[in-house]
Amino acid sequence: MDCIVRVNEELGGDFFYLGLEPLEPIADIRPGRFFMVRCSQSADPFLRRPMSVADYKKDGSGFGLVVQTVGWGTSLLSTLVPWDRIDVIGPFGTNFEVPDGARSLWAVAGGSGVAPFLGLIDHAEGDVDHTVFLGARTSELLIYADRLKERGACVITATEDGSSGEHGLVTEPLVKKLDSGEKPDVIFTCGPTPMMRAVARIAEAHGIKCSVSLENRMACGFGACVGCVTKKRGEENYITVCSRGPVFDSFEVEI
Amino acid sequence: MPVNLANNIAGLNLKNPILGASGTFGYGTLYERFYDISVIGGFVTKALSLKPRAGNPAPRICEAPGGMLNAIGLQNIGIDRFVNQKLPKIKDKDLVIIANFFGETVDEYVEVASRLNEVDGVHGLEMNISCPNRNNEGLVFGASCQITEDVVKACRKVTNKPLFVKLSPNVADIAKFAKVCEDSGADGLSVINTLSGMAIDIRSRKPILANVMGGLSGPAIKPVAVRMVWQCYRAVKIPIFGIGGISCVEDVVEFILAGASAVQIGSMNFVEPEICKTLAEELPDLLESLGVSDYRELIGALDV
Ligand SMILES: Cc1cc2nc3c(=O)[nH]c(=O)nc-3n(C[C@H](O)[C@H](O)[C@H](O)COP(=O)(O)OP(=O)(O)OC[C@H]3O[C@@H](n4cnc5c(N)ncnc54)[C@H](O)[C@@H]3O)c2cc1C
Ligand SMILES: Cc1cc2nc3c(=O)[nH]c(=O)nc-3n(C[C@H](O)[C@H](O)[C@H](O)COP(=O)(O)O)c2cc1C
Ligand code: FES
Repeated sequence: MDCIVRVNEELGGDFFYLGLEPLEPIADIRPGRFFMVRCSQSADPFLRRPMSVADYKKDGSGFGLVVQTVGWGTSLLSTLVPWDRIDVIGPFGTNFEVPDGARSLWAVAGGSGVAPFLGLIDHAEGDVDHTVFLGARTSELLIYADRLKERGACVITATEDGSSGEHGLVTEPLVKKLDSGEKPDVIFTCGPTPMMRAVARIAEAHGIKCSVSLENRMACGFGACVGCVTKKRGEENYITVCSRGPVFDSFEVEI
Repeated sequence: MPVNLANNIAGLNLKNPILGASGTFGYGTLYERFYDISVIGGFVTKALSLKPRAGNPAPRICEAPGGMLNAIGLQNIGIDRFVNQKLPKIKDKDLVIIANFFGETVDEYVEVASRLNEVDGVHGLEMNISCPNRNNEGLVFGASCQITEDVVKACRKVTNKPLFVKLSPNVADIAKFAKVCEDSGADGLSVINTLSGMAIDIRSRKPILANVMGGLSGPAIKPVAVRMVWQCYRAVKIPIFGIGGISCVEDVVEFILAGASAVQIGSMNFVEPEICKTLAEELPDLLESLGVSDYRELIGALDV
């Protein structure tokens, strides 16, 4: 589906935000699901790149991506300007699902992993308290803290160099808050794998349900190449992250 | 002027010469979310073995210049689940279904071939001989003319369905292998499978694929594939499926001119899931602009 680029906004560090308007509304956009984005019309790069949905309009007439430039494909995306066209397919995969009756939800994000939580908090229904733990190397890379606060979330930040919020890894304020006796009904996490692994262990140790969003390398995004596999915990067989995930219950998969 | 795209290839009735290639088209059903697959000539299943196979650990894929590397490790659901669960969902569709298969020994190849021979709804077989041979230090079957001859002859005995052999390009003289397959009773050839390749992360000094080596596919391999189709076309009389890096309708015609009777589309399905449908739709216009009313006129019509 062709989309018109409406916004390309620098976010600090090597992050940017792309606001896209599809030529026709796209159904079933949900936080945690992702699009496969064509970065070039030529074969360079050849494969599409998976990108999580950030914010989105309920009627599917617009959505955003939060992208970090890490290589050739993402650097091509960073050069897009308003009115350019970009081709995406999707959305694919599972989404972050707030369990019935949940009253408090904690989200732990690193880097572009904050993306799904923008849409999640924008479209939150019912009476749920949101706390977002944001981690980054340095304050410049802590993106969307203010916007999440504006939408009513409690935001706790941590930087590895101590330039903003807690000094250290994002898991430290998480553990502190748990140790102080607070306990959410569910924890969602998205970001670098070592961070998600640590969050999942902490959640399990405290008996809290936890959803993780895996970021395996993907060629197709819809189950055809069998390239994006991970192992189900305790099983020998591989499952495809793109179609069975990318959002899994942490106890389901080996992280 | 209506343009003819239909052909009978080694007994397979194809309404057009566009097929989905093995390992990129699943078991067919996956692409139904994008379009009705009965608009294409047919497709080849993911490689099937006697028992399900788990395949290689991740990472299994990565980008390569103009294409991709993969080391899936022949993960598949096994012949029983294919026949009982997947095939019933597609067998009544109007398209040709070809089962790609392999074994780790000649006996296993024969057993899978004879099982598939009995299956209603499987119209043809494609032998994947780029699979490691358990009895020959893990060297692939398709690396040796003698072993290729043994395994093709053995499978030929147990099936009367059209039998295609999918050649490995990782050999010095592919025409020799083409001839061996023809002489051993193959009804057709599929040319080519992926080229052996590798990629390294220079910071960690580790291979990018967990399996270390993988298969290169996509536009990057197209010139090699066109050349090999041409060499095979000159060496044999049996029909050839041209495969390798096809991404647009001009590529389809290029392969046909080199000698392909039909083509299979692989990795491009990942990038444009509707590519096979698009190519089938665009081919008549291109042929008409080339002044051709029947695509069969172009098979091997390279002017040298
Ligand atoms: C479901 C899913 C959702 C994603 N959502 C986002 C998002 O919202 N925003 C965002 O910026 N990124 C996201 N990613 C990661 C993103 O897809 C990769 O960063 C991107 O493909 C890199 O492309 P490139 O051409 O720029 O880099 P390449 O040149 O391909 O690679 C450059 C570097 O990036 C690493 N890399 C490549 N592919 C991946 C991958 N799939 N995951 C992690 N690292 C990778 C490589 O190891 C390499 O070191 C997501 C990945 C998945 C699987
Ligand atoms: C992810 C992937 C999986 C594949 N699996 C198989 C397979 O199971 N059996 C087989 O014969 N070929 C397999 N192939 C090879 C393709 O069918 C095709 O020969 C090759 O990719 C070249 O075509 P392309 O450049 O159009 O992709 C696979 C290719 C890819 C990319
Ligand atoms: S990315 Fe192809 S199967 Fe998941």
